[in-house]
Amino acid sequence: MAILLQFALIAVIIDNWHLESQVLARLMWLAVVGFAIHHLLPQRFRLPFFALLSLVAVVTGVGHIGPNVWMGWLSGRISSSGLLYHFFPGLTLVAIGLGLIGLCHLPIRFAARVGLVAAAGAGLAFLRGHSQWFPDIADMWVVLGSMFMFRLIVYLYDLQHRTAPFSFSRAVSYFFLLPNVCFPLFPVVDYKTFCSTYYNEDWVPIYQNGIRWMIRGVAQLLLYRIVYQYAPLDVSTLSSSLDAVGFMLGTYLLYLRVSGTFHLIVGLLHMFGFNLPETHHLYYLATSFTDFWRRINIYWKDFVMKLFFYPTHFKLRKMGTIPALAVATMVTFLATWLLHSWQWFWILGKPLFNWKDFSFWMILAVLVLVTAIYETTRGRKRTLRPSRVTIRTRLMYGLQAGGTFCAMCLLWTYWSCQSWSEFETLMDAASKPSWSDVLVILGVFALVCGGGMLWGQSSRETSEGKRTTAARGPFPFWRSAVAVTVGSLCLLAGPSLATRTIPATKGAIARLHDDVLNARDMNQQRRGYYEDLDVSRKDNWGWQNAEEPEGWDKGKKAFVRPRSDFLLTDVVPSMNTVLAGAPCTSNSLGMRDREYQKAKPANTYRIVLLGASNDMGTGVKNDQTYENRVEDKLNAHLPDARYSQYEILNLAVRADSILQRVLRLEQEGFQYQPDAAILSVSAVDEQFIASHLRKALMQGIEPTGDYGDVVQSVIRRARVNGKMPAVMIERRLQPYVTELWAWSFRRFAQQCAQHGIRPVVMYRPAPADFAGLEATGRSKTLQLARAAGLEVMDLSPAFDAVTDRSSLILAKWDDHTTALGHRLLAEELYKDLLALLFSSSSQQKISPQPKP
Amino acid sequence: MNEQEIKSALKTYILNEFLPGEDPAALTDATPLMTTGILDSIAVLKVVTFLENEFSITVEPHEAVVDNLNTISDIARLVIAKKT
Repeated sequence: MAILLQFALIAVIIDNWHLESQVLARLMWLAVVGFAIHHLLPQRFRLPFFALLSLVAVVTGVGHIGPNVWMGWLSGRISSSGLLYHFFPGLTLVAIGLGLIGLCHLPIRFAARVGLVAAAGAGLAFLRGHSQWFPDIADMWVVLGSMFMFRLIVYLYDLQHRTAPFSFSRAVSYFFLLPNVCFPLFPVVDYKTFCSTYYNEDWVPIYQNGIRWMIRGVAQLLLYRIVYQYAPLDVSTLSSSLDAVGFMLGTYLLYLRVSGTFHLIVGLLHMFGFNLPETHHLYYLATSFTDFWRRINIYWKDFVMKLFFYPTHFKLRKMGTIPALAVATMVTFLATWLLHSWQWFWILGKPLFNWKDFSFWMILAVLVLVTAIYETTRGRKRTLRPSRVTIRTRLMYGLQAGGTFCAMCLLWTYWSCQSWSEFETLMDAASKPSWSDVLVILGVFALVCGGGMLWGQSSRETSEGKRTTAARGPFPFWRSAVAVTVGSLCLLAGPSLATRTIPATKGAIARLHDDVLNARDMNQQRRGYYEDLDVSRKDNWGWQNAEEPEGWDKGKKAFVRPRSDFLLTDVVPSMNTVLAGAPCTSNSLGMRDREYQKAKPANTYRIVLLGASNDMGTGVKNDQTYENRVEDKLNAHLPDARYSQYEILNLAVRADSILQRVLRLEQEGFQYQPDAAILSVSAVDEQFIASHLRKALMQGIEPTGDYGDVVQSVIRRARVNGKMPAVMIERRLQPYVTELWAWSFRRFAQQCAQHGIRPVVMYRPAPADFAGLEATGRSKTLQLARAAGLEVMDLSPAFDAVTDRSSLILAKWDDHTTALGHRLLAEELYKDLLALLFSSSSQQKISPQPKP
Repeated sequence: MNEQEIKSALKTYILNEFLPGEDPAALTDATPLMTTGILDSIAVLKVVTFLENEFSITVEPHEAVVDNLNTISDIARLVIAKKT
């Protein structure tokens, strides 16, 4: 009962924290119920029951058959044929899988069976490459590939050598492993180990170890979320050596996702009696490259050792130990590279052959080989009894762990960078550390060394490792159960307690609580090897009907056209298209707005609005933009008796930097004779400055006049030119962004004063703060605006009442403001405008404008 | 060679090659070697080479596993099985 309670608590945590996908949450509950039944069954029925449960999970998971589908069928919303349609992909997968298992057991020569399996695999790979031919079963391929692409090889190997027992239930259980449907990136479970560890000791420690590993997996997945959301993972925004180190550290720590899911998977399998060994073991504290290879993804290491290293070495052993070791190691890593590409193909539908992946695996191969040769020739200290570890030995472990960590961090970063320019830019950012940077970096290094001193000697060589009964003492069940239960309850109650006691944590917790893209991925969709294979999370979005529909942004290019001056772009006049899923039209003056006369009509109070895509109203209909809503309300209430009409002319253009906004006012806005100009700014707008200057530089466009002076000065000091990689230009410009931001505010104030226009800065809150920039960005922006002598309307409170901030963004992949967000912004802006421009006290401040 | 002689030869080899300076009495026939890290993957290759040279047997790659090489008794059993 205590184990069942802990298992249920873990399922609640996964559901509550939205870990991985919704399919996983459902699968966890299926597993909890299945576990209770499985445990009560007599031993001989348990394996067939697990096989059956796994098949149910596959069919329901692949077909997305959840409670809503059943309820839809029961209520008549889904027809019986519609329900059967949901079963089709899963049943197809099971049929193909059983066919492949059948081929392995055909009563013909083993080599012929291997040939048949290879031919079937090639045929399936061909179909996987053309999965668009069968859209009804498109979801099946990833799971099929994940189940069979490696396990079939292991299965055939063990079948050839008869190293384990074979039966129908074992085969089905092995290939259709219960959690596999949720995790395309799955540990390569060894068939022999799978069979030999099945209830190989008392059930209590097996189950409790499973619980411990699941909670460890959950903890690692939550840590991954923190790293993913908070590490500086965008190269173009790195402003110091510390940031660059943060990037490298963050990139390396992203692997926590893989180890976390593997712990979760193997823990789940423990609950059904599979006493499988650990998949990862303190890999960040490895003390050498061979140690790293032995600790990270132990199942993979065992798989390639079994299939490639030992066979190659045994064949070549007459060459001598070192040459055979060298060739076998290189063959093993070459196979690892090819098999990673094979894995990529099955999960993403296209092969991965590039120089970067190849070089990563080859560099790692050489590092492991050199260490292995050193260990072979120099030997390593082995003892029969635990010996007293001296301080000197511990120090050595610590330094070795620190050195290995740094080297792997660098290599991993190289692997994860999207391009060589990105890696170059990173090195550029890291090249000039300040003393404080060095101190912090040394602090992190010391932390890793400290970990290495404490746990660096904890090594394991094989999957079996120290998990043999003989190597273990009495099992501390209650200690473990209490720790897991307390940890689980903390994870469940912690967020609510934190937000109630410290309201400032609300945003951070909301950001960690949901599976959302971080700022970098939202902007650029750029990720490393394992992040790109993260299709289970994409499935999660698919499950929520959140995949980007075709034609979502078809108007993106049609609506905005390039210019040959420093403004770079403007809106195409009289254009009618679709932008972010919503109809979008421009007027004849080239504004995303209603039609206006160029000359200001009599008795009209005219405002020009300067901004970017959110102000332009990307993703909402014309009448839903906040500026049109405010205009309508002003015209409905006519707050100032002197005016019979109010107009807000929307000069916002997608991705306009603050420099472009102010220049657009000068070049276009003043000709409309406005009474006031609203400069909309938000916390994330800073990023537009660097990209604006980079585009101008790369296109060879030089600003003129005052803009030319300030921009040239920045370009000179940042040491950038148009021939550099884009990412490096943007990174080098980062330290000057605030300077340009402040200059733009001063320019805005000065230009408006010259034209007798009321300048107002409007701070617009982001609908969802993915980058976590809102708090600091807001105060910095407002401070700069006020320092320039500008009046500020702060619309920050507009979204305060919204508890579910996802209702304010268009979609998971598009963080533009929804119609609801525009309505809330309009309400706040109207209130502020009245107070600032049209209240009795404010009217005295308004510069007297000659009425036409 | 009988089982005892095989075990004795193995013990001498393991003590000399991997555990120099250790008390011979501490290494018994049942001492786990692979699961405790005394024999790592590279050491296993050395042991296999020793077995093949010393006892004139051939060990296959799939036989170089913990079931056959974890203790001196396991290794001796493998050698005897190979020789008969």
